[in-house]
Amino acid sequence: MARLLENIGKSILRDNGIVTPDFKIAKNQEEAVVAADELGYPVVIKALVAVGKRGKAGAVKFARNSDEVRKIAKEILSMTVHNFPVELLLIERKVEISRELYVSITFDPLKMMPVVILTCEGGVEVEGIAKLEPEKVKKYHVNIREGLHLYKAKEMWSDLGLTGKSLMAAAGILHKAYLIFEKYDATIIEINPLAVGPQGEVVPVAILMGIDDDALFRQPVLSKKVIEGSDRAWRPLTALEKEMIAVDKAESYRGTARYTEMEGGNIGFLCGGGGGSLLMYDALSRFGSRPANYTEFGGNPTEDKVSGLVKGVLSKPGVKGFCMVTNITNNTQTDVVARGIIKAFTDLNVDRANFPIIVRLAGVNDVKASKLFSEAGIEYHGDDITMEDAARLMVDKMKKAYPEEES
Amino acid sequence: MAIFADKNSRIVIQGITGREASMVTEHSIAYGTNILAGVTPGREGQSIHGVPVYDTLKRACQEKKLDTSIIYVPPAFAYDAVMEAIDNGIKLIVIVTERIPRHDVAKFLSAAEEANSVIVGPNSVGILNPEDRIKLGAIGGDRAERCFTPGEVGVISRSGGMTAECSWMVKRAGFGVTTSVSVGGDPLIGTPPKNILGMFERDPKTKAVVYWGEPGTNFEEDMADFVREGGFTKPLIAYIAGRFVEEMPEGTVFGHAASIIQGDTGKPSKKIARLRKAGCSVAENFNDIGDILKEVLVI
Repeated sequence: MARLLENIGKSILRDNGIVTPDFKIAKNQEEAVVAADELGYPVVIKALVAVGKRGKAGAVKFARNSDEVRKIAKEILSMTVHNFPVELLLIERKVEISRELYVSITFDPLKMMPVVILTCEGGVEVEGIAKLEPEKVKKYHVNIREGLHLYKAKEMWSDLGLTGKSLMAAAGILHKAYLIFEKYDATIIEINPLAVGPQGEVVPVAILMGIDDDALFRQPVLSKKVIEGSDRAWRPLTALEKEMIAVDKAESYRGTARYTEMEGGNIGFLCGGGGGSLLMYDALSRFGSRPANYTEFGGNPTEDKVSGLVKGVLSKPGVKGFCMVTNITNNTQTDVVARGIIKAFTDLNVDRANFPIIVRLAGVNDVKASKLFSEAGIEYHGDDITMEDAARLMVDKMKKAYPEEES
Repeated sequence: MAIFADKNSRIVIQGITGREASMVTEHSIAYGTNILAGVTPGREGQSIHGVPVYDTLKRACQEKKLDTSIIYVPPAFAYDAVMEAIDNGIKLIVIVTERIPRHDVAKFLSAAEEANSVIVGPNSVGILNPEDRIKLGAIGGDRAERCFTPGEVGVISRSGGMTAECSWMVKRAGFGVTTSVSVGGDPLIGTPPKNILGMFERDPKTKAVVYWGEPGTNFEEDMADFVREGGFTKPLIAYIAGRFVEEMPEGTVFGHAASIIQGDTGKPSKKIARLRKAGCSVAENFNDIGDILKEVLVI
């Protein structure tokens, strides 16, 4: 899932007929003051980062005048919110709130259907309310081929006690939000709070919106606004991670690869298969080692893609060994993978005698793969050992090569 | 006996002229699976490794009376292909395609349910029944015998690659499989593992099930509840991978798209505890699966 920044989420709401408070973006104190002066006081200043729970992190604050704006802008711009350094601020006119509602639209992975969740106790974490006071939370599964009818939106808010102007407004917003969910291939739309003002007017104050990465091909406008691969990192992507995305995309028609940098560690880790990589990372950790990165590929990658990945894996500082494992492949040609690995080691001129390497690469064409590795002087295993056996061998090799090192 | 597919299955491959599908056709025929037809619009009259290609599934069904389809159509066109299969009365649809937009998946799952068609996948490597030499999808590659030998164990896996590896672990322990099923690594899939447990329960040949689980979803919790309620009474031996993911910041994805922990949902430790409480064996090491099988399958 690619998360959209709040300004993009709010622009989408506005483009689709949902009124939101006016906002501006600022990248420094001066811009913040100009923006706030134009919007009119009081204003709210938020860190513009694509993560939730910003309020809790202290990255949402109110200002009544330009002095306060200057002070708060400086403070928030120096923050790192849930590992994301704040580079931009979103400033908007503070909304008068008499009541806070909550709306989310997402997929229920159990029923495999879209689900709408509503409560009139918004502003806080809805999970807590759902546990303590389940009667205050409304859940409705939508028949995706029918969509969400406006009457259903009215029924739900009415069941929760809304009436009059705010009922009509909240139902309209929910109905439109569902249409946006469909139109933009969203995986989640969460409006929290959806504020009810003193005159019964209803305004989305904060929105979190996620888009399905797999649908970006048909969302040309959005695809330029999301950071690819951001769903797999808990912090901004590193330079090497971005490079590896480029390696993967260079030959997007064959094989997929994902690279994540782990903290510390000394084993360069490459694995074939999403499931197998989980097993191997667990096993290497359990046997007392630490992988420095987490790289998995699937779907029959080319020699160049594999060598590009291996080079990336080995280039992370602190990597002193290489562990490459696949499950017994269904379609990945192991001889092609072998050539990619050997090419990377040759290009980088790695001293194979003093660099611990374990390869367990079984499956299609593995007789050829075995031959290639033995000619290259790299210890090779096929289905003579299990994947966990390979992890054990790797850990033992590392301990032998670097006896003084604590893992 | 086996589940999903046997000698009577009448199999078609949608998207048969693609590189991957063509290779799978060749491997399947070599293994002994009878592929009756292929569909690629505009390519009628051609044949792929001897399998006739039709422009539409409707045409193929008229000629060959098909009931099982393997979908090898690219993500942007997969929705239409699956709807075509449902509307032409295909009863089992195995979707190999990865990265189909989630809204499309939810739509065809809903349509399939209404039409009583069973969908396995998306992002499934396939289903294999070694006794009848039926291979639906890439599963087993060019040498299915290496990992799949006929026997008495059912295999269910959330990972395509590990479907073969699990079946190989079964073989290594001296047993074989009735059917191995890759359910698909996506968050939305047609047949969750619990449903397959129910099928293995009804299959007299299956004496035990080996299961490969991962972080994310509620699949394992549902299986545990199903076992506790008596829906599945045979030994269930599970391995849950990705325990390290619990130590990582919430929401980080490793491996498959479905492998995401949110709050307490999806934690391997919770899944393991729930399965054990229901009386299932959960292997600490993947290597232990063989020994556990030997214990539970002793006559």
